[in-house]
Amino acid sequence: MTHYSSFLADVVYFPLNDFGPAMKGMIIGGLGIFHVFVAQFAIGGGLLMCYFQWLAMTGREPHARQFLDGFYKVLVLISFVIGAVTGVGMWFTSIQISPVTIGVMIDQFHWLWATEWTFFCLEVGAGYAFYRYAKYLNDKARLTLLIFYAFAAWMSLFWINGILAFQLTPGGWHDDNTALWQGFFNPTYFPTLFFRTVTCMVIASLAACVVINAMPGLEREDRRRLILRCAHFMVTIVLMPVFGLWFLAVIPADSRSWVMGGSAAMTMFANISIGATILIGGYAVIGLFMQRLYINGATATLLMALAFGATAGGEFVREGIRKPYTIRKELYSNSITPDQVATLREIGSVTQDPYPVRNQEQYPNEQVILGQKVYRFQCSVCHTIEGANGLMHLTGAWDVDMLRKNIAKLQQLKTFMPPFSGNAQELEALVQRIDWQNEGQPDTWPVSNDPAVLEQNKKWLDDAGTQPGWPKALAKSE
Amino acid sequence: MNLAAIFPFEYPLPTAFYLFWYVLTLVIHVVFMNYVLGGVTYLGLSSLAGRPNRNELALMLRDWMPFAIGVAITAGVAPLLFIQILYQKAFYTANLLLFHRWMIILPILIIGFYLTYLLKAKKVADWSYPVRVLLGLASFACFAFIAYSWTENYLLSMESQDQWAAFYGSSDIMYDNAAKLPRLGVWFLGAFATMGMLVGWQLWYKDQHENVKLVSILAIIGLFGSAGCAYIYKGMVDAHFPAGPYLYLGIACWGAQLGLWLVQLAKAKFSGMLLTLISVVCPLGIVGMTVVREQVRLAAIDLEPLYPLHKAAMGVAGIVCFLFFFLLNAGLILYIFRLVKKNWIGPEMEAE
Repeated sequence: MTHYSSFLADVVYFPLNDFGPAMKGMIIGGLGIFHVFVAQFAIGGGLLMCYFQWLAMTGREPHARQFLDGFYKVLVLISFVIGAVTGVGMWFTSIQISPVTIGVMIDQFHWLWATEWTFFCLEVGAGYAFYRYAKYLNDKARLTLLIFYAFAAWMSLFWINGILAFQLTPGGWHDDNTALWQGFFNPTYFPTLFFRTVTCMVIASLAACVVINAMPGLEREDRRRLILRCAHFMVTIVLMPVFGLWFLAVIPADSRSWVMGGSAAMTMFANISIGATILIGGYAVIGLFMQRLYINGATATLLMALAFGATAGGEFVREGIRKPYTIRKELYSNSITPDQVATLREIGSVTQDPYPVRNQEQYPNEQVILGQKVYRFQCSVCHTIEGANGLMHLTGAWDVDMLRKNIAKLQQLKTFMPPFSGNAQELEALVQRIDWQNEGQPDTWPVSNDPAVLEQNKKWLDDAGTQPGWPKALAKSE
Repeated sequence: MNLAAIFPFEYPLPTAFYLFWYVLTLVIHVVFMNYVLGGVTYLGLSSLAGRPNRNELALMLRDWMPFAIGVAITAGVAPLLFIQILYQKAFYTANLLLFHRWMIILPILIIGFYLTYLLKAKKVADWSYPVRVLLGLASFACFAFIAYSWTENYLLSMESQDQWAAFYGSSDIMYDNAAKLPRLGVWFLGAFATMGMLVGWQLWYKDQHENVKLVSILAIIGLFGSAGCAYIYKGMVDAHFPAGPYLYLGIACWGAQLGLWLVQLAKAKFSGMLLTLISVVCPLGIVGMTVVREQVRLAAIDLEPLYPLHKAAMGVAGIVCFLFFFLLNAGLILYIFRLVKKNWIGPEMEAE
């Protein structure tokens, strides 16, 4: 296959960093969740403000304009600063975590990202024009500016959603790398777009409830009326199960299996997200919309925190169910392509890695240093040594032969793991690196170079093959 | 004149194409970034004065700084996109090597951004002197640090694979290069001239001429300082420094700006004619210097292996979509100006 990206054709080595006890996924995930939450607030906020401007213009809500002014200041201070900077931060962080993945994505989608950028410009233009001049403008102009702002903000979701959804379900693009639009409007594109749109509306209306409670000079009845207006936006939450089930129906069978109990962590996070959404939805539909209850600032803040939890759980699941890929069937999480595995099994995965292992004096011999290099290249994107998802915790009770066999047959041990991509010597080096750590990092450590061991390693590697693991129960679905 | 020898035409079409977009979008970013850098520096340094700075220049800068930062960040997204296509490994490697030192620009940018909102608040003038100084200098320090970090990133991206490996092995996160400060000075000090142009228009539009001399002097100091730093920097990267039309364009525009600001200095009011002329030569000068900046990097990086990749990237669909929305959204942004002007109902609305 002719690759559109150099990162898919050749193995490219980068100076990979160590985040200490934090696994890299926590870094990108943490920032990502925060950014997504703020961005969704901004998008929903745009739509909500259009609604309130309409309410103000038509005389349906006497305090709509006052709310708009207060809410918009919050939106500008949060979205225009934190949203914008964390958006850029996502790129920088992606480079730190997986430059290959972001490189592939940029190669493929740079014009769509550039298109999204034109909407950022419109968003900033319309947003600041409203911020500075709304009080001097007539209602028609105010509404027009807000519509521009809301349109631009939602269109940024329109573009980035396709790029994110592509990673899980590249659709027809996988067979034809030039079919950009097939990759963009992929099977999970529309369910995630609609799901996220509803999420935006719910988050913004919850934030609005907090703002309404903080607004000075309003009677409780005024606040209640404004809150009930927000509830109109919030009840769209009832559509979430529809889009969620649609999403679940179109994702790959193995990914679905992780959420449906195949992976305890994935299932748990999915349930946290669903549970939090049910609580918010119950309050919004039964409490606000049907019972027309009042919601005070503390409760609104609590619901916001629940919404953040739901977002965090959902984003964790969305990222997690791609495993073992970062771009499905194209690029493994550790930035190695399926096509490269066989080659690296022959030549060694780090033979050509120009970057030395740091602090080499702390390792007892060259083999352990090589093992550290293999760990850095193949494992460190998802694992640490002793911290989060640490190899010591995962393998601490394994004997050396278990280490050898399990790592050699990694993709069969856990089908969300990519296959081991090194040769028999590198496998042994990695085993010795882990075992040395598990044994308390003694000053001296024997070199393991028994030909029989290496031969056995090779046999296990050959048995495992270079293809990804696949649960037998799902064989028919692929 | 041999067109094929002129940047970016000396490169294959796809590479030239991306270089064109990169330089174009970078120039737009630089214009707004200069407003921010020059502005926060002026506000920061003027905070050292005993009394709160309430001159027209300071008020204008404080009022518009958050917006300028927002625009500068947004404008910076596009060149950040194109640089990744153009240089790929070199850009990513520099980012990775600087690690925490690089990533810290994000929280610092957020802090600096919020500080400019704070600076804008009227009540700040009532705060005590040390607090005002701290606020002004902290805001300045945030953006100065970001500028410094970009310089470091740029210079590190031009190193060889062996030097990258050695730097990585050393675990250093501060990149030591003597060219850092003069190169930073070229852009930092040059920012005052661009800021002078933009804020000059703002003050002219408001018919505020109290600080015409101050703005002119800041621009002139910036131009001299930038030229001095450029001279030192040239000495340090002489082998890579291209003598060509863009360098001459930069020098010519520098000279023209200097002349125009000197004329402006002698006048009691901002002149629309002078500002118009400055607005022609200043962006052209930035174009010249931006291309020279890129030529220095291109001389250090072997781009040839990347030619096929640029070609492949150019073959990816989506450019028609981009151009369509680029024009549409540019049109909508222009329409916003008209919308605001046409539907202005004046201060009486505020009174209501």
